[in-house]
Amino acid sequence: MDNIAGKRSGLSIATNLSVIALVLIWLIPTVGLLVSSFREREQISESGWWRAAFSVSQAYRVSPSAEGAVQEGDLWVLEGNLFGDKEGSGSVSGFGLTSRDPGAADPGQTYARYEVFIMEDGEQDDTNLEIAYPADGEPEFPETDEDGNEILSDPAPVFDRSLMVQENGDFRYVDVDEIDRAPSVYITAPQPPEFTLDNYEQILTSDNMDQAFINTLTVAIPATIIPIVVAAFAAYALAWMDFAARGFMIAMVVGLLVVPLQIALVPLLTLHNAVGIGQSFLGVWLAHTAFGMPLAIYLLRNYMIGLPRDIIECAKVDGATDFQIFTKIVLPLSFPALASFAIFQFLWTWNDLLVAKVFLPSQSDYWVMTVKIADDLLGSRGGDWGILAAAAFVSIAVPLAVFFAMQKYLVRGLLAGSVK
Amino acid sequence: MKRALTASATTLGLLAGAAHAQDLYTPIGEGDYTWDGYQDFADATDLSGETVTITGPWTGNEKAKVDEVFRYFEEATGASVNYSGSDSFEQDIVISARSGSAPNLAVFPQPGLAADMASQGHLEPLPDGLGDWVAENYAAGDSLVSLGTYEGEDGEEDLYGMFYRIDVKSLVWYNPITFDEFGFDVPESMEELKELTEDMADEGLTPWCIGLGSGAATGWPATDWVEDMMLRLHEPEVYDQWVANEIPFDDPQVVEAIEEFGWYAKNDDFVAGGAENAATTDFRDSPAGLFTIPPECAMHRQASFIPAFFPDDAEQGENVDFFYLPSFEEADLGQPLLGAGTLFAITNPSEGASAMIEFLKLPIAHEIWMAQDAFLTAHLGVNNDLYANDALKQQAEILQEATTFRFDASDLMPAEIGAGAFWTGMVDYVTGAEAADVAADIQSRWDTLN
Amino acid sequence: MPPLFQGLITIVIAVAGCAGYFYASNWVLDRLVFPPRTDDQGRNISRATMVRPWLFIFPAAFFLSLYLIYPVVGSFWRSLFNRSGEQFVGLGNYAQMFAEEGFRVAFFNNILWVIFVPAAATFMGLLVAQLTDRLKWGNIAKSLIFMPMAISFVGASLIWKFVYANDPDIGIINAVRDFFGMQPIDVLQIAFWNNFFIMFIMVWMQTGFAMVILSAALRGIPEETIEAAIIDGANPFQIFFKIKVPQITPTILVVWTTITILVLKVFDIVYAMTGGNFDTEILPSYMMDYMFRDDGRATAVAFVIMVIVTPVMVWNIVQARREMR
Repeated sequence: MDNIAGKRSGLSIATNLSVIALVLIWLIPTVGLLVSSFREREQISESGWWRAAFSVSQAYRVSPSAEGAVQEGDLWVLEGNLFGDKEGSGSVSGFGLTSRDPGAADPGQTYARYEVFIMEDGEQDDTNLEIAYPADGEPEFPETDEDGNEILSDPAPVFDRSLMVQENGDFRYVDVDEIDRAPSVYITAPQPPEFTLDNYEQILTSDNMDQAFINTLTVAIPATIIPIVVAAFAAYALAWMDFAARGFMIAMVVGLLVVPLQIALVPLLTLHNAVGIGQSFLGVWLAHTAFGMPLAIYLLRNYMIGLPRDIIECAKVDGATDFQIFTKIVLPLSFPALASFAIFQFLWTWNDLLVAKVFLPSQSDYWVMTVKIADDLLGSRGGDWGILAAAAFVSIAVPLAVFFAMQKYLVRGLLAGSVK
Repeated sequence: MKRALTASATTLGLLAGAAHAQDLYTPIGEGDYTWDGYQDFADATDLSGETVTITGPWTGNEKAKVDEVFRYFEEATGASVNYSGSDSFEQDIVISARSGSAPNLAVFPQPGLAADMASQGHLEPLPDGLGDWVAENYAAGDSLVSLGTYEGEDGEEDLYGMFYRIDVKSLVWYNPITFDEFGFDVPESMEELKELTEDMADEGLTPWCIGLGSGAATGWPATDWVEDMMLRLHEPEVYDQWVANEIPFDDPQVVEAIEEFGWYAKNDDFVAGGAENAATTDFRDSPAGLFTIPPECAMHRQASFIPAFFPDDAEQGENVDFFYLPSFEEADLGQPLLGAGTLFAITNPSEGASAMIEFLKLPIAHEIWMAQDAFLTAHLGVNNDLYANDALKQQAEILQEATTFRFDASDLMPAEIGAGAFWTGMVDYVTGAEAADVAADIQSRWDTLN
Repeated sequence: MPPLFQGLITIVIAVAGCAGYFYASNWVLDRLVFPPRTDDQGRNISRATMVRPWLFIFPAAFFLSLYLIYPVVGSFWRSLFNRSGEQFVGLGNYAQMFAEEGFRVAFFNNILWVIFVPAAATFMGLLVAQLTDRLKWGNIAKSLIFMPMAISFVGASLIWKFVYANDPDIGIINAVRDFFGMQPIDVLQIAFWNNFFIMFIMVWMQTGFAMVILSAALRGIPEETIEAAIIDGANPFQIFFKIKVPQITPTILVVWTTITILVLKVFDIVYAMTGGNFDTEILPSYMMDYMFRDDGRATAVAFVIMVIVTPVMVWNIVQARREMR
């Protein structure tokens, strides 16, 4: 292919670009959640994670104390700073008088509410109209209101209240009525991006995820180690010992590889209840051991049968028993296969939801992380993405670490298990 | 409060011994608590040396609160109370009753299970006359009696369960500031509520936040809506028939209630984010729309527990308040109330168990928990001022004014319906299916159970 | 005793127990049952050789038969009884189930899954394998695409729920729609197509698996065949489709069936994404709706899944036997 020089560079660029695109599609979801897990929770709902590095505009309701209001002519006036006395503790990007439109006016403008008279269906009516205009200007009333009704110039609009806010938070509030309680005004202000570990702290300390983490570990470790021991012996027998039913046994193992777990749930739970294991960690270990067994035997046998025949024959001639050959020669040589199965089984048991749901009690002290996330957090923290994201990463951190550290064995195991 | 009583009650406190008294939540005979009858109960009951065992669904914080209540029982009778709470109470009690190791009393979180156990002979009927007493002294007393009355093993109907703690569900939460700015008033009738909903939509304010999402339990908030509508459209007896499947789920009366809910939930202008959004918004997330600036919605129908999921800056009476989901003025069905609650029942008779039921008739047995927060009672003899906060007090008033009380239907139906088909059916309905089809599906599922 | 500690003790007991069992049973066999005494040494050794494999296999066979073979029969038997297990109903559970709309939806969706997921994952895997074959940074790219394999189905669902979120400030799909001025949409509620959004999660997870295996297979193709094609003037697409793909067809089939089997087991994704709402139920998640409530129905569903898997199972066995010869 390399010698079709002309087309090659074009093709190569196309290849590079499409791989980059694919990798991005594959990574973006995970990266998005990872970024979100470090964001401040209010900001998550204000702006997408792709804008995490930029500041977010948030609206606030502020109620400055009515103290210090003075009467000026017919009007009452309240002046002060919306951020209190602290200088520069915020900067206003917009303000308003209603929660419906909290950033209606720009800093430095005056925003006023007038009672205006309109013609609606041929009858005169009145309504409130909010209008923004420059501080040194006068309000200019539109011809119609938002519903398309004509605004009358006679009778003239009547002033109700107004607000003027500077960027630093200085404000002047004017009202026709006496200001005897704190008025509610609205401002919008940019919030600098904020990254925090709070989500992780909360999920690990107050949300019982720590318990779930330990439970997952409790399920996964024995469920990884026990099947290896049991399967290794069987795999050796199926690889290197001659007996009549060997072919049948191998076919059986291959067949059992595909048996869906679902079929085992009800009868086994009934069995566990009958013999007194019930729903318990012991039950999960036994179930995982059995469910992992076909793959373990299959992988290990495929590997063992590829070991050099000479070594084993020689040992036999030297009078070694099968038990000795197995423990002294085959087992150490099979380390790569053992490692790949262990990784598989570990990932499988760590990530499992079904077996844990069925074979462990439903109380919260027995929840593993997948159950915790699926049955509890997705319910109780449905929209709280900061917490959900942190929980997801707590649960996938270990498998990801195992994955990247042991990828070589994982790939080898996959190849041994499938291509033969 | 009767001051005359305090004298004798104080003496009792002294007699009981300083060591115990100072550990109690509040000194006996003092404060605004209603001590009526406590002295008489203490004089009449001596159970020294006896232990009363109780199991119930309250654990952790709630166990600590109810233990405070039981301390007054111990103080009065000399018995000791051993209460244990369990998250899997419903399984545990069945197992222990079957194996004959039941505690003296059990606190059931819903009547269905109690009825089951009564029919299997695992419960002891409560004393004669208690039913009449509850009917008279509890808000919506008749309803509470009938919810505690079941057929026993012998087929005879008796009162087995006594309500203790109640939750009310027929509440609409709103943001008074939003109402104020727009000039809306709290509606007094369902007709007004519907008018208000339309007015809000006209003004460009989305009236409702509705969230049905709840992980695997998605859909349940809609069942509460439908139940509330059932109680406001039809006689309570129709509701009972519906719960018992004596009328089919696709009866026109039920379909009507579902459609009444749909009037609110299936209108894109009435629901924050559009009707489609309701099905996936998490119910705990949903009320947040009341507090955003600009407001995403103005009202949210949910049970009394929901403030636990309000944002941090929510403050009762300031930017959040609630009103009773009103009934139709023209339907003339009084003030029906949807709720849930816990019942005490005797699982293993003893003198102590009977005494405990007697003790629960005293207002003080309710007030001690009332004062500790997160507790409502239908007992009419309690001092409402003792509620830990104004919100509870208002809810208590709603409860006390209720003419009919009905238990959450989905809790009473078989789990496959009430915690399955009904939930998913409501999700289907909100996302487009016809009410009649959904109801027929649920009924056909119910048919397979019989 | 904390369960974790209990677990560690269990490991010790199990490992020691296993080793002890094998050692002791071999010892018993060699020394006591068939001791290689001088008078009938030959016969005893050959007898021991006949028995020994069974000693090695017994624990594994015990687990397999109790936990996998017995349940197939047990489940079928249980599915012939009503919900409480007291009354024999014959095939009643199956009849009732097939008559139910919910089951038919799940069954139909499951067919969609079985067709789409293995096809899409295998195709994507093949594509990535081919594209990265001669790329300098190919191994890094492969490693990143392989990564979702390590994530739990629940974790993956959460990751994608975030992408699909019906809010342009959270979900990236709706952010893109918003950018083009379109209304936000809840992709999990679009009838029929929502299935594909859910299935894509599975494709996202399984592409890496397909890629790893197919990439190895591509490397295994003898260089000469490709060089010959180049000399004949074939373009890269022809080389790929006419030379490479036919040679790795058996591997493609293995990948395809492996993913198919997985698809029939996985309930987590649907469970976490929609809980089966909006007509996205598949058989494994449908079964979980009945688990603990109506075991008769649950086992009937499980058995239907088993029946669907059976052809694949037979094919696997036939393949394995052929290889052994």
